[in-house]
Amino acid sequence: MSCSPTDLKEYFLSELNLTDSGRVEAHLKSCSTCREELERLQLMQAALGSLREEEIPRRIAFVSDQVFEPSALRRWWGAFWNSSARLGFAAAAMVSGAILFSAFTRPAPVLNAVSPKATQVSAQTFSGAEIDRRIQQAAAVEALKAVAQAESSRLAEIRQLRDDLNKARYSLAVATSEYDMAARRQGIVNVAANGYGFPKSDAPGESK
Amino acid sequence: MIFRAVEDGDLIRQAARGGVEAFNLLVSRWEKRVYNYLLRLTANREDALDLTQDVFLKAYQNLRKLDDAARFAPWLYRIAHNEAYSMFRKRRPETNLEDAPQESAEDGIAVAGRSVFPIELSLSVTAALNRLSPEQREAVTLKIYQGFKFEEMAEVLGCPVSTVKSRVYSALDLLKAELAPVRRGMS
Repeated sequence: MSCSPTDLKEYFLSELNLTDSGRVEAHLKSCSTCREELERLQLMQAALGSLREEEIPRRIAFVSDQVFEPSALRRWWGAFWNSSARLGFAAAAMVSGAILFSAFTRPAPVLNAVSPKATQVSAQTFSGAEIDRRIQQAAAVEALKAVAQAESSRLAEIRQLRDDLNKARYSLAVATSEYDMAARRQGIVNVAANGYGFPKSDAPGESK
Repeated sequence: MIFRAVEDGDLIRQAARGGVEAFNLLVSRWEKRVYNYLLRLTANREDALDLTQDVFLKAYQNLRKLDDAARFAPWLYRIAHNEAYSMFRKRRPETNLEDAPQESAEDGIAVAGRSVFPIELSLSVTAALNRLSPEQREAVTLKIYQGFKFEEMAEVLGCPVSTVKSRVYSALDLLKAELAPVRRGMS
C-alpha cells in the first residue's frame, strides 16, 4: 500500500472498517512519514481536547401546563396528520364512499355508449309491473312457439305413420290378390288333374 | 424488582405521547452537548443558551415527526444547526457567513515544540478554531467534539457526505499546521 493522506485521516477519525484499518496499520509499521503524520494528528487532537465543554448556565426544563397543553381532540388531530397509515386509510375510505355514492345516485351510463337506438331505449322508464307484464308476455310467446313446434313435429310423425300404414295395406292387398290368383289357379289345376289323372299340387304356402 | 437503564428511545416514545417528564429527562441528557455545540457556533453564551431552549422547544413540538428514535441525535443537531443559522441570517441578512468577524491571528499562541500552560493551550486552540471558516469550524465541532459519523454529519448539515469530508479534511490540515507544526530537523 502506498501513502494515502485520505486513508490516514479516515483511520485517525475511526471512519474505516476493520479490513481497511488493518491495511493502514500494516502500512504504518513500514512508513515513518505516515507514522509522523499520524502523531501530528494525535497531537492536534490532544490540543483540541484541552478545550473543555462548559456547563450550561441554566438548566432547561419544561412544565406541563393544562392551559398550554393541546386538547385531546387537537392531539388526536395532530397525530392523525402525522400518521401516514391513518391518512392512507382515510383516503381509501373516502374513495370507497365516493364510488358507492356514485353507484347509487347516477344512472348506469353503459346503455348510452352502445348505439343511438339504445339511447332511445335507455331514455324510457319502466315500472315494475310493466317489466313483469313484458316478461310474462315474452314467456307466453316463447311457450306458444315451443308448443307449435312440438305439434308440427308430432303431426309430421303421424303423417309418416299413416303413409307407412297405407303402404302396408297396399302390400297386403297385393299379396292377398296374388294368393287368391294362386288358389284359383290351383283349383283349376286340381280340376284338370281329376279329369285327366294328373297328380294334385298343394295350395300355396302349405308345407308337406 | 428489575432495574433497567431507561434508553433514549423509551423517553422519546413517552415524550411523543405528551410525557413532559420523559422529555425533561431527555433534555437533561442532551442539553450540555447541544449548548456547547451552539457555543462553538455562536461564540456567545447568552445566544447559545437562548438557542438551546429554542431547540428543545422545537424538538418537543415536532417529536412525533421523528420516525426512527435511533436518529434522534442527528435530528436534534439538525434543529440546532437550523436555529443557529436562522439567527445569523436575522442579525446579518446582508452579510455572508464566510465574512463573519474572526479573532486576529496574533491572538494565538504557538504550542508545538514547547510546553505551555493549560490556559495558553486553550487560547491557542480557540484562536486556531477561529481561523477556520464557519463551515469548517462546525464540521470539526461535530466530528471531533460531538463524535458524529460522516453520514450523520451530512444529515445535520444538509449537504452531501463528500462535502462534509472535504470540510473536515481541510480543517484538519489547518489545525494541524497551527497546533502541531512540523518540527525542524524531523525527517
